[in-house]
Amino acid sequence: MKSMAARRSLQLFGVLLLFVPVLSGCWDRLEIDDRAVVLGVSIDEAENEEAARKEENEVSHVRGSLPPPKEGMVKVGVQIALPGQIPLGPGEAGGSAGSSPNRTVWVIHVVGHSINDAFMNLQQQVSSKLFFGHLRIIVISEEVAKKDMSNINDFFRRNAEVRRMAWMMVSKGKAFALMNAAPRLERIPTLYLMSTLDNAIKMGKFPKDYLGQYWSNSSKKGQEGFLPYVDIKEQDNVEIQGLAYFCGERLVGVTKPMEISGFLGLRGINPAGYRAVVLLDKDDLTTAVMTNVTHRHSKIDLSIKDGKPYFKIKVELEANLAEKMGHGISLEDPASIAMIERKQEEGSVQFYKNIIAKTQSKSSDIFGFGEMVRAKKPGYWHQYVGSKEKWQEMYKQTTFDIEVAVRIRRIGMKAI
Amino acid sequence: MLQTAIKGGDRMKLIKGYRRTKQQKQPKKLPANHTLAEFEGKKLSGSLQELEGIIDSTVGKSADLAIRKLHVFGRFPAVMYSFSHMVQQAVVNEDILKPFMHAPMHLQGRSIELAQLPDILLYETLYHGEVQLQGGIDLLIRAILGGDTVVAVEGMKEAFIIGTRSVEKRSIEQPATEQVIRGPREGFIESLGTNLALIRYRLQSTELRIDSREMGSRSKSKIAICYMDGITDPEVLKELDRRLSEVEIDGILDSGYLEQFIEDNKWSPFPQVQYTERPDKVAANLLEGRVAILVDGSPLALVIPTVFGQFYQTVEDYTERFLLMSAIRLARLVALIFSLVFPSLYVAIISFNPELIPTEFAVAVAGGRAGVPFPAVIEVLIMEVSMEVLREATIRLPQQVGGALSIVGVLVIGQAAVAAGFASPITVVIIALTTIGSFATPAYNAALALRLLRFPLIIMAGIFGLYGIMVGLIVIANHVLSLKSFGVPYLSPLVPGDKEGMKDLLIRAPIKWMKNRPAFLHPQDNIKLHVEDQAPSPSTGETSPEKR
Amino acid sequence: MDNTQTRQITVLQTAAILVSTIIGVGVLSLPLFAARAAESAAPIITLIGSVIAFFGLALVTWLGIRFPDHTIIEYSEQIIGKWLGRLGSVFIIAFFAVLTSLTAREFGEVVVTAVLKTTPVEVTVIVMLMLAAISARKSLTTFAYIHNFYFPLLLVPCLMIAILSLNNAEIINLQPIIWSPANHVFVGVLTIAALFQGSFILTLIIPSMKQPKKAMKASLYGILIAGGLYIVIVAASVSVFGSEEIKKLLWPTLELAKATNLPANILERLDAAFLAVWVTAVFTTLLSSYFLTAYAMKQLFRLREHRVFSFILFPFIFFMAMVPQNVTQLYGIIEMVGRYGLIITIAYPALLLLLAMIRKKRGQM
Repeated sequence: MKSMAARRSLQLFGVLLLFVPVLSGCWDRLEIDDRAVVLGVSIDEAENEEAARKEENEVSHVRGSLPPPKEGMVKVGVQIALPGQIPLGPGEAGGSAGSSPNRTVWVIHVVGHSINDAFMNLQQQVSSKLFFGHLRIIVISEEVAKKDMSNINDFFRRNAEVRRMAWMMVSKGKAFALMNAAPRLERIPTLYLMSTLDNAIKMGKFPKDYLGQYWSNSSKKGQEGFLPYVDIKEQDNVEIQGLAYFCGERLVGVTKPMEISGFLGLRGINPAGYRAVVLLDKDDLTTAVMTNVTHRHSKIDLSIKDGKPYFKIKVELEANLAEKMGHGISLEDPASIAMIERKQEEGSVQFYKNIIAKTQSKSSDIFGFGEMVRAKKPGYWHQYVGSKEKWQEMYKQTTFDIEVAVRIRRIGMKAI
Repeated sequence: MLQTAIKGGDRMKLIKGYRRTKQQKQPKKLPANHTLAEFEGKKLSGSLQELEGIIDSTVGKSADLAIRKLHVFGRFPAVMYSFSHMVQQAVVNEDILKPFMHAPMHLQGRSIELAQLPDILLYETLYHGEVQLQGGIDLLIRAILGGDTVVAVEGMKEAFIIGTRSVEKRSIEQPATEQVIRGPREGFIESLGTNLALIRYRLQSTELRIDSREMGSRSKSKIAICYMDGITDPEVLKELDRRLSEVEIDGILDSGYLEQFIEDNKWSPFPQVQYTERPDKVAANLLEGRVAILVDGSPLALVIPTVFGQFYQTVEDYTERFLLMSAIRLARLVALIFSLVFPSLYVAIISFNPELIPTEFAVAVAGGRAGVPFPAVIEVLIMEVSMEVLREATIRLPQQVGGALSIVGVLVIGQAAVAAGFASPITVVIIALTTIGSFATPAYNAALALRLLRFPLIIMAGIFGLYGIMVGLIVIANHVLSLKSFGVPYLSPLVPGDKEGMKDLLIRAPIKWMKNRPAFLHPQDNIKLHVEDQAPSPSTGETSPEKR
Repeated sequence: MDNTQTRQITVLQTAAILVSTIIGVGVLSLPLFAARAAESAAPIITLIGSVIAFFGLALVTWLGIRFPDHTIIEYSEQIIGKWLGRLGSVFIIAFFAVLTSLTAREFGEVVVTAVLKTTPVEVTVIVMLMLAAISARKSLTTFAYIHNFYFPLLLVPCLMIAILSLNNAEIINLQPIIWSPANHVFVGVLTIAALFQGSFILTLIIPSMKQPKKAMKASLYGILIAGGLYIVIVAASVSVFGSEEIKKLLWPTLELAKATNLPANILERLDAAFLAVWVTAVFTTLLSSYFLTAYAMKQLFRLREHRVFSFILFPFIFFMAMVPQNVTQLYGIIEMVGRYGLIITIAYPALLLLLAMIRKKRGQM
């Protein structure tokens, strides 16, 4: 019996041995230091079509065989981490990174007919294999976004390495400038960009809008996608300038930074982080106070009125008083607090209405009102809407009624 | 002359017999002690001269054989044999020579016939506990070899075998490999008798049975099989008996020899028999329904059947508070898993899936690895192998140097390897964690198994990344799942599930909760603990702390 | 020493075998099938699919209880005659061989697309099949142990990803919970029910169960857990992505793992880790269908050992796995084979049961 077991083991071993040559390849082994870790990608229009075509080499296609797409060719910039420049662990290097900016990453750009074409051109120039597993930031210039995003979305969705938790953003002006920016707070510029947005979520200044969410939103029949709209300032710092909202795969408009809070308030997203100036007396500037909204709550009721969806939105804001700009009012009096509340309510209703109207005019339902119709009134949806395009039309005719309730709870450490 | 002739003939016959048995494929017997086997069944004739000749031709050639001639009560010629270094001289002088040569007062003057002599000596004069009368020559020679003293009297058909064996042995010390902070400090020693005493002293029960047998055709090592009658599954005993009876080897010098004969699967890297040098552990295992095997000359007892869980459990788990020890046991389990998969996980993440780790860290790791010329697999393999070398060297080194070298070795080599661009700092951290992790496993042989299995896993990780690790782990797990130790599945009580055993697997439940013996051992008597639902009384009968 | 009584497998073990057999590579694309068929009603049709699957399994269980000492290969000959029964058995064997090869290929494709991009798909398929072939040589008891052991490894990652993704879930994506007339619900339900086909392995288990009478309990538990897990996964992915986005993803469950990160950024994305853990789930599924094929062949040819077949089958299964030319074709074949397979795993047992009742055949207990 023992010898049988031994023979069996030997047989098994023999069979396994047969497979050794098959298994001996390390096809996918690629050391982390042999990868060109792409941290950020920027996508611009190629400025000069002719120059771009010259610049582009024959990598993925023979010159002239592929006509330039009607949106124009793209210029793709990448930020690649330079291994060795970023020291392991915390330590003294934080300061030195500040003094010699731009050394931790390598920023290059190429042109191409499509995103993948551009990356192929880039790969031709970079020795290590491009690796998108740590791609955190995709910046798209306003011009490109206005034309068509479908090629960009398709490429990144198809690539298994790209994470859904990356940020995609629309830049005012050239996107490549953001790749080149070297903010001082982080060793790696793109990580600074990323943390700007991540912290904005934590501070209640921006909704959660990772790449995956943008994709999901723009796929939905009753909703449109939106992206952060950013701009670069003198000190290489980055400002969130609003929401870039889409209609289908095209950028149709941009909000003001303040209007992000309108979006957040309508959706009732917490934590709340925006502050608002409330002027009690239009003529007396000393009566201005600033309130700090701490908690938002919204309730949206949907009904069908005259064959069109009608939304009744009730927003509740809890706020603290943050600043008094003059001595025009005294907070000892509860009535004055009530007055501040009233004033802010009035202002907010108008504010919210404006935002909705703005998106309505572009038929870009970034709030997902259409999804509510689909979810709550499936019968109506199937009869009258049914598709994304129809909802885009319908959204323009949708009516809203907004009610805001502001509650000021605290006034800080000062008594008056 | 005559004897030598017989001897020669016998030998011929024996060799022939041996050949024949070989041809017939009967269980072959090693003709170990030619001259001893010859006298199998041969009886003492009563002639001292003949005996002298026989002794002379067998053991007489050894210089340490002491032959002492004497006259019993001054009348009957006798001869005494013993290996002088194996007996206690004082006992021989006082308890043997004196009563043999000097007739006691009440016998003086009585005439003693030869026929009466054995009875008189046995019942009236010899004051020694271990005396027997034997007629078989082979038995006598074996007794001499075992350290007993043989006294033969002219004309008597039987000779006295007197137990005088006294071999130098070390004192009972703290077990070196299984030290505990809280628990008994006694460890087994080489002497079987002492070891059995240590067990019996802990289990003063009529149910403790000790079967003894001799194994090894040349070494004639004594083996004791201990079990609790009425608890242990008789099937296990039967199976053990069968496996032991198949062993044909000339010498069993340590229980490790025996282990390899009785284990189920010798191709497996996993130990299927547990060894221990703690009598308390053996006692606890006996109470659970296991069987212990002790070998004379080995301080390590074997315990069967064994399941994997035993290898990360210690005595202290049961002597300390259950909450703390459960946590520590979990930590040990984590260390076990660490030591198995950590390096391969590192290889897989660095070479295949760097997207899994945080970006900052990934970029930094890439920086740390930037100067290293080798792929991560090779780097880890080199470091692992050198770690194994270092560890092995530390065991062999004299104790005074060992401690210093291990620390210096690890620190200096690690630091130098990083400085030389030979390994990345993170690799060093990984290797260090792995090594420490493998030391946290209480059982050396189990830790060894996992230590070795780490290497194929690293290679699999180098080929297929995380996917390869999983495939490797599945192969290992499937192997472990198909293992059995004496009919008990190796991963019991986890698979197949056993409620009672689960209480003592990952965590150690309070002893009060473990009312029954683990069912996977098929104990005859299932109940371990009789608890009334009252406050615990200090004198609850059978609440002997269970240890493994 | 082998104190293996022939009837050793408990009810819980049987349930574990069923669950780990059912849950496999199908989970990765399950939300896609469900969302395609019914959009936001995907969880409901998953439920309906599970109920249908349970009905099919119940038929097999009843048959098994009726003939507690035999498998379907054996009692089909008793019920419908030697040659018809053998024909049925040949179909069963062929079907499960195809199922094995498709499972291996599907997972091979997932691995090659998502993780090991330059590794030939043949290699990943061979590795998975080897794993199954070697383990399929073991005894039925060990087979039960293997399933029993991996069972928690299936539940934990699924539930973990579902729980972690709650963070991004939006209830509105799951509404309305009832499908609209425009959806092709029926086909979808069949596709989902087909994902449960591995549970047919029960027919092999019953003759080794300690109490075959309790087999129904085991199959109920098995379907409850597996179906529950399916529903959880479908609900989680639909609530996170929305049904429209799911329709754009080939393996939504994998994408869900990608969108999830462990708290405190220990692992930033779980897709590769999930896929690695999922190797065990696929392995158990593969093992079951491989084992079923080999064991059924053993019984068909009246042999004592099923071991021989494990390596004989290997090349056939491998070549069958290599037949589909691309992923799209592969999924077409998988859906088709799955749906037609329901004839073998549901209709055929139903027929047998009916005939057994009419002809009053039953095995002795």
